Amino acid sequence: MAHEKVNNCVVFTNLHYSVKDNTWIRVNDDDTVTIGMTDVAQSLAGPCLHAKAKKVGVARKKGRPIATVESGKWVGPVKSPVTGEIVAINEDLANNAKLLNTSPYNDGWIVKMKPADLAADMVDLVTGDAAVEAYRAKIEADGVTCTHIEGTDEY
Amino acid sequence: MDDLEGKKILVIQTHGVDTPTRTYSPLYYAVAAAAMEMEVMVWFTMNGTNQLKKGEAEKVCLVPGSGVTLKSMLEMAIDNEVELKVCQQSLTLWDMKPEDLIDGVGILGATSIIDLALNYDHVMYF
Repeated sequence: MAHEKVNNCVVFTNLHYSVKDNTWIRVNDDDTVTIGMTDVAQSLAGPCLHAKAKKVGVARKKGRPIATVESGKWVGPVKSPVTGEIVAINEDLANNAKLLNTSPYNDGWIVKMKPADLAADMVDLVTGDAAVEAYRAKIEADGVTCTHIEGTDEY
Repeated sequence: MDDLEGKKILVIQTHGVDTPTRTYSPLYYAVAAAAMEMEVMVWFTMNGTNQLKKGEAEKVCLVPGSGVTLKSMLEMAIDNEVELKVCQQSLTLWDMKPEDLIDGVGILGATSIIDLALNYDHVMYF
């Protein structure tokens, strides 16, 4: 997958991002979306210790939490970038929350959702070059440089 | 664990900057509960009051180099919509005035704790 690096923070150009909430979605062929947190988010959180997603079947409005993530220095919600229903959760995170750090865009996915109106929610998300530029602005404004722990995916 | 969304948690913090190792965890638990969409209040009383004085929380850094201070923990709590309240009488005992408080802290009379404790789903004491 094509990606860019801004201050060592990886942004995949094929994903759609909520830059404000540091989440991404991947649109799947079966009308679901896969959701995770970004490289910026994992770097800010530090090595993750626990992740607890909402249950399958739970309906969530955009902006509401779909999971709680804990690290040694941070705890907080992962906010849904879309309105919809959770149809799958990543069970691997229960035993290995560090996947959020080492593979935030692949093995560290958090939930899959069936969106109620993806087109409407996409209006607030950015992708491609626009995503890279939006992240560049945020990273520079916040003074972020991403760090990666051992075992992180090769980018 | 059943979904805890909507539950109300009251955290009572009686420790402050004079026992710094007792300051982070109550805030961390409060933020975790808020992240799980519970309604959370942290009530500061006794020595817990002193951490709310302007200029004090930033002096507490339990892990040098981590970038985390008691100030950043308090800010994280406020950012996650945890209500921070201080006992009015404790302010007086610590010779503090309302204008000495950091932003984002409300003041309640001492006996408010009784109503709060009775009306919240669970109370955590520190």
